[in-house]
Amino acid sequence: MARTRLLLAAALALAACASPPSRSGPILLVDDAGDTTALAGPAARIVSLAPATTELLFALGAGDRVVGRTRYCDYPAEALAVPSVGDGIAPSVEAIVARAPDLVVAYRSGGNQAAVDGLRALGIPTIQLATDLLDDLDRAALTLGRALGDSARASALVRAMTDSLAAATVRVPEPPTVFILSWDQPPITLGAGSFLSQLLDRAGARNLFADQPQPSFPVSLEAVASRDPDLILVTDEQEPAWASRPEWQVVPAAREKRFVRVIGSEFNRPSPRAARAVRELRRAIERAR
Amino acid sequence: MKLGLLALLGVAALIGGVAIGAVALPPGEVIAALLHPGAPDSAIVWSLRVPRALLAFAVGGTLGVSGAALQALVRNPLAEPYLLGISGGAGLAAVVAIAMGLASAWLLPALAFGGALVASAAVYRLSLVGGQRLEPRTLVLAGVVVAFFCGAIMSALLTQTDAPRLRNAFLWLLGGFGGASWPALGAFLLYAVAPLLVLFATASSLDLLSLGDETAHALGARVERTKRIVYFTTALLTAASVAVSGMIGFVGLITPHAIRGWLGSIHRRLLPAVFLASGTLLVAADALARTVVRPAELPVGAVTALIGVPVFAWLLRRSLA
Amino acid sequence: MLEARDVTIRYPETERAAVEGVSLRVEPGHLVAVVGPNGSGKTTLLRALQGAVPLDAGAALLEGRPIAEWPDRERARWLGVVAQREEYPFVWRADEIVMFGRYPWLGSLTPPGPRDREVVRTAMARCDVGGFASRRIDTLSGGEWQRVRVARALAQEPRLLILDEPTTALDLGHEMELFELIATLVRDGLGAVVVTHHLNLAARFADRMLLLDQGREAARGTPREVLQPERVGRVFGWPVAITETPEGAPQVTPLRRPG
Repeated sequence: MARTRLLLAAALALAACASPPSRSGPILLVDDAGDTTALAGPAARIVSLAPATTELLFALGAGDRVVGRTRYCDYPAEALAVPSVGDGIAPSVEAIVARAPDLVVAYRSGGNQAAVDGLRALGIPTIQLATDLLDDLDRAALTLGRALGDSARASALVRAMTDSLAAATVRVPEPPTVFILSWDQPPITLGAGSFLSQLLDRAGARNLFADQPQPSFPVSLEAVASRDPDLILVTDEQEPAWASRPEWQVVPAAREKRFVRVIGSEFNRPSPRAARAVRELRRAIERAR
Repeated sequence: MKLGLLALLGVAALIGGVAIGAVALPPGEVIAALLHPGAPDSAIVWSLRVPRALLAFAVGGTLGVSGAALQALVRNPLAEPYLLGISGGAGLAAVVAIAMGLASAWLLPALAFGGALVASAAVYRLSLVGGQRLEPRTLVLAGVVVAFFCGAIMSALLTQTDAPRLRNAFLWLLGGFGGASWPALGAFLLYAVAPLLVLFATASSLDLLSLGDETAHALGARVERTKRIVYFTTALLTAASVAVSGMIGFVGLITPHAIRGWLGSIHRRLLPAVFLASGTLLVAADALARTVVRPAELPVGAVTALIGVPVFAWLLRRSLA
Repeated sequence: MLEARDVTIRYPETERAAVEGVSLRVEPGHLVAVVGPNGSGKTTLLRALQGAVPLDAGAALLEGRPIAEWPDRERARWLGVVAQREEYPFVWRADEIVMFGRYPWLGSLTPPGPRDREVVRTAMARCDVGGFASRRIDTLSGGEWQRVRVARALAQEPRLLILDEPTTALDLGHEMELFELIATLVRDGLGAVVVTHHLNLAARFADRMLLLDQGREAARGTPREVLQPERVGRVFGWPVAITETPEGAPQVTPLRRPG
């Protein structure tokens, strides 16, 4: 699967290189919903409705073409200068239209279909990109590159991201098991289908619930206790208060406060900063052991 | 007789609740863990399963008894504990806390408890007719109005807050016993035992209240005083339940209803039976909630409905036949 | 003895008093009928006699003591009430309903004992409903249901009985049956106040009669004294003739409009 995707990416990159970026004429984009969207030319005014796509657009050198973002798009710092249109899920069509975009990049989610349909009905080209996992990153970058009329740069970014991730990836013979706690009341953890779980894999650790495919789910404390994780991953700045609650004392890692703490948006969404996130996570894991 | 049968079922459910869990332990090991605190799995059994089963039983019983008492108070078999605006108040307080980043493990239940009490006090004030009489129909309406108002503020907050945080708030509100522990059980009993005893002692007045104010008065009930007692004890009980386990629907509506059909509506007999049956139902539902998709958990409220609805449908058919 | 002395009751935000300066007296062994057109204050007067509504003037006394000062349970041991309508959210058995009449005698934690069950059995037998003690109340006919409620009031072992329109919705046979039952109870020493629309039944069974007109007393006395054709015609707004039953009770017959 990953191989096919890589091949596909390479083929797309080649195809993009074959045609000069300045070539005028319509650009056809196939998005993650399978819809085809036509642009009259390279997009010049883009509203990006997901933090990950905003980051990618800036990484592709098109920060000056971003005319709208969500209030969660906080990276890079220059992005904060772009006017916010509010939420990225169930966004305000009116606020988006007010930015007079020639391309809207929506986050692919069931909650967005109505807004996407509405924007398209108004004649605004709109694409939907999934940006949940590491694997989504390359595809999103290439699609955005085509939209910007600069596929070469997108291919270069993909290559750079792939290389730096490969360099950051650690394989250890006996990876420590890490329990990811995303919320404590009720305890909610992340399964294999989550970005953080993928980061753990690359940082030489193993998600305690890597056998569960879903992105996140409420979990039994009993199961956590019996699987006995080496470490607990938290993404909070405070010393976790829940760890002193009586019911958590059955989990040795909680009792002994074996926490891995990472802070920053690079840990909750795939981005060109993923390799850095892997390295930082690796260091945090080593510190905790 | 029937009460004995229910007690037996309750004990069986508690044993089952301790015997099964997210981790499959052979019965021998569970017994060993129960008997020897040093045994390998005794932490799981003693610190997680036993308090969890007991808390589920206590909360279930409390919700059932509150539901039955409120049904008598508002003279409507479809009344349930969340009628008093409690769901709205607790939910709003929890969402506000989570939106403001105040949702620490200790603070969230306390705030939900406070929110529930404030909302039920508002409902009470709204439904006092002429400043002194508590009118059931007004009470139901006031409960709906306050719940809607809280819901409106919640939806407004929803659009202003981080989405994953809110999802977590709603998961908490959906209810469950993931946070059960001995201290949680102790805190719940501290709040619940006295109001429960008061309700059991008011059982005969509940019979009379169900007959309507006029007849209750004629039969010597102190109508307004009894209503006030029932109102505040059920509000306190429900708020305490919400604080330890979120909002578990269905138990407080269906169990009293089913037991009425089976045992009749003399509350002196009804309330203990409802307590046992509701506790049993919730322990069983929770045991399923934590094993069906293990190691993940289902919201226990969904499971109570999944078990309860078919049972209820069967009872309904039988009573119509 | 139950007594209303110059009772006046004004409901908030109404011009006319619901009851104004009305007096009434019931003693054991007597049946008093309160009659009058719709809205003449009959039910309000009964509520005053039960202490269920505050008085603006006058006094309602049970055994010489203001009814509102009686502790609820003690009052319920003296005074049984059969209200006009009762609708129940739950289903009980007939004997459970009658047992509610024992509640004024029971502590809030004491279950009914053998004597309570005996009283319930006797009360049901007297009202001729002993045969369906274990029937669910939603299977009872209108007449059976009324007799069960009277049995419940009897289970209170009261000295006095208040009945508000006890025969509405009953057919001729059940109507007579119920009044005969009340008459028997009164003969056995109970005092009773009955509010009724049925002037003719009231005239045949009551010792004394109070005719109300717009909250005021229009007449008081024996049925023969109260039921004068021009007075009844004026109060009810319709011309009537008064005749007599074979046993000598006055009977009201509304006249047809001439032409």
